[in-house]
Amino acid sequence: MKEKVLVFETMKCTGCRICEQWCSLGHFGAAAPSLSRITIIRDHATQIDNGIICHQCIDAPCVTSCRFGALGRDEATGAIIVDLDKCNGCRRCIRACPHGAIRMHPDEKYVLICDLCGGDPACVRHCPEQAVQYLERGKAERPYRSALVRGRAKGGACDE
Amino acid sequence: MNEKTGTPELFGAIARVNLSSGLVSREDLPEDAVRRFIGGRGMGASYLYNEVGPDVDPLGPGNKLIFMNGPLVGTLLPAGNKVNLTFKSPLSMSYSYSLCGGHWGPELRFAGYTGIIIEGKAESPVYLWIDDDTIELRPAADLWGKTVPETERCLRDELGGDELMQIACVGPAGEKLNKMACITAGWYREFGRGGCGAVMGSKNLKAIAVRGTGAVRFHDPAGVMALSESITAALRAHPKIIDRRNFGTPELLKTINDNGLLCTRNFSETFFEEGHRLEGPRMREDIVVGDASCFACPVGCGKRSYVKAADGTPMLLEGPEFETISLLGSNCGVSDWASLVEATLVCDEHGFDTMNAGGCVSLAMECFEKGIITLEDTGGIELRFGNGAALVAVLRLMAERKGIGDILAEGIKAASERFGAPELGMHSKGQALSAYDPRGCKGMALTYATSPKGAHHMIATTMGPEIAGGTRLSYENKGALQKENQLSMCAVDSLGICSTVRGGFGMGDQAKAFSLTTGIALDIDGLKLAAERIINLERMYNARLGFSRKDDTLPARILSEPVPSGPSAGETVDLGPMLDEFYGVMGWGADGLPTREKLEELGIGELATG
Repeated sequence: MKEKVLVFETMKCTGCRICEQWCSLGHFGAAAPSLSRITIIRDHATQIDNGIICHQCIDAPCVTSCRFGALGRDEATGAIIVDLDKCNGCRRCIRACPHGAIRMHPDEKYVLICDLCGGDPACVRHCPEQAVQYLERGKAERPYRSALVRGRAKGGACDE
Repeated sequence: MNEKTGTPELFGAIARVNLSSGLVSREDLPEDAVRRFIGGRGMGASYLYNEVGPDVDPLGPGNKLIFMNGPLVGTLLPAGNKVNLTFKSPLSMSYSYSLCGGHWGPELRFAGYTGIIIEGKAESPVYLWIDDDTIELRPAADLWGKTVPETERCLRDELGGDELMQIACVGPAGEKLNKMACITAGWYREFGRGGCGAVMGSKNLKAIAVRGTGAVRFHDPAGVMALSESITAALRAHPKIIDRRNFGTPELLKTINDNGLLCTRNFSETFFEEGHRLEGPRMREDIVVGDASCFACPVGCGKRSYVKAADGTPMLLEGPEFETISLLGSNCGVSDWASLVEATLVCDEHGFDTMNAGGCVSLAMECFEKGIITLEDTGGIELRFGNGAALVAVLRLMAERKGIGDILAEGIKAASERFGAPELGMHSKGQALSAYDPRGCKGMALTYATSPKGAHHMIATTMGPEIAGGTRLSYENKGALQKENQLSMCAVDSLGICSTVRGGFGMGDQAKAFSLTTGIALDIDGLKLAAERIINLERMYNARLGFSRKDDTLPARILSEPVPSGPSAGETVDLGPMLDEFYGVMGWGADGLPTREKLEELGIGELATG
């Protein structure tokens, strides 16, 4: 099976943040956006809901930046996995991530990085808008290109 | 904190902020109160009854702003986002509450607080910053005078630019004590009715910014997840919910107009001949560019609209909603989107209720057309029905409290009396009627007349079953229908979920959701009992102020002026017998007040006076 990654489509997102809820509940048994590996941010001026997700970079800057060998890959899904014993919360990976998709656990000394829920991401399963998809890496750009052709890739609400 | 059961952790805490002394304290939510009053609207009523007495001036330091989440807010249960605000209203001079969707309430829960109680009055403008456990009052001199969007931008910059922070604030209308001022959260979601923004302004409190990194925990997480999945599936298959998603609340407009109950030209008519231009599908086609959801809502009824103003200025907003389109649109005879959206934005940016504003402007329009007020009074504005530019101009005067706008900013009752035309002010207890003309849908007469906060449709949305059942012009059993609907609305308002999802999230599931989240056993009968207890408590708050049957009134036009034409031609409302039936099913006396027996039956016998 080819590796899949999360793909977020801004124009489909309505900002309900149900994805954040399922992410934190699935991993921690509590509803908490600060424990979610996916984050939705609404810009009121442009009326756009942006999704901050882990793109599972091939040569991942977070993995490279880690000096403690705390970040590895899941063999089955290819997801970046945090070794909670090795991670000491130094936050180098947070600064290295080009997508801003890594956050500190608010109470513990380790970082939160999307683990793709072992190959069945809860955010994808529960998004009512299909704004988060789980696609083969080589096909991940298709929705974006399609939106770009329609002039809606950045939301376009104010565009003529 | 009960270490054994851990229940208080499930309920969250209350932050009490005294603006006069600057003291901030934290208290647990009493478990007994949660059992009796659920949360949100119910808990707010309990606090207001106990803490804000009958002599308190709504705009004085003795009034309180009691923000209270329901137990389902911040959970993933569909539409668990409604935070309730209870206060004594400067508009209706009565008990009042208002609910706000969006993301502010949930953020408050993530910060660890189920509610905030604001008391006293700050010496100079301040704002409140809640950053998890850290709560501080900060000077807001630089923010004073700023509109809602400006306030959000400046505050976000000042506090570090975190886009995840949620802000509730008042605009200039609240500062200027406009009696219909609202409190706005997230630019376009309001605690809209009753003038709570004026209360906040009177306390010199500009904004409450919240950022929470904590968690909302449940008694039974797996149960909550399973229930959420089944309700979400039911919602997404529900035809009414699909309509609501596609067209937002304006999906209602066609039905309401076609059945002859759409407020038109200050309720002088009940069918708007240009209504077809304002229907949901037409709005979607003409101005809607996207959909927006409140927290945890799979419906997404919010509509993002884009239109250019008459002078070419681009306007982008979330809205306008059905009530806005009706009160500022059909009720002012206006049907062009450019004027309507500009009018909405004036209200949104300055922070006052579009519904009461529409009631006020339509009143002034009728007075102008009848020669009761003249060009001299309006400052040269040709304030005729259908004049969209005049609508916008008068709203700007209201925002600035200038000229006729200063009179209208005092509210519909005061303005109509000032014009010497109290019979043309379409309100009950000082709150402007919502969009549904009760002459075309009798049950709504009871909704408006018996509401504890003045005319308001969300007390009991009986128009739905009345239209669907073909009984809108019948008086039969409307008291029983009213009771059933009041209980249903009170339940969702107290639990903290949006009434929109009731179609797929019924009272049985609501009771189950309460049990799964709090760990307190509750069934549907228990939920109904709690809702009835809350409604009686609200009634007793007003009774303490002297309210009774004599105040459960409607404008003379509704009672005695037959609808001139359209699907409800010839109709009036015979209110007396409906009140008798309703009081009867509620177990209230002929004076409209709960009897001692009723209060004892509900476990609040201590409130009985007679």
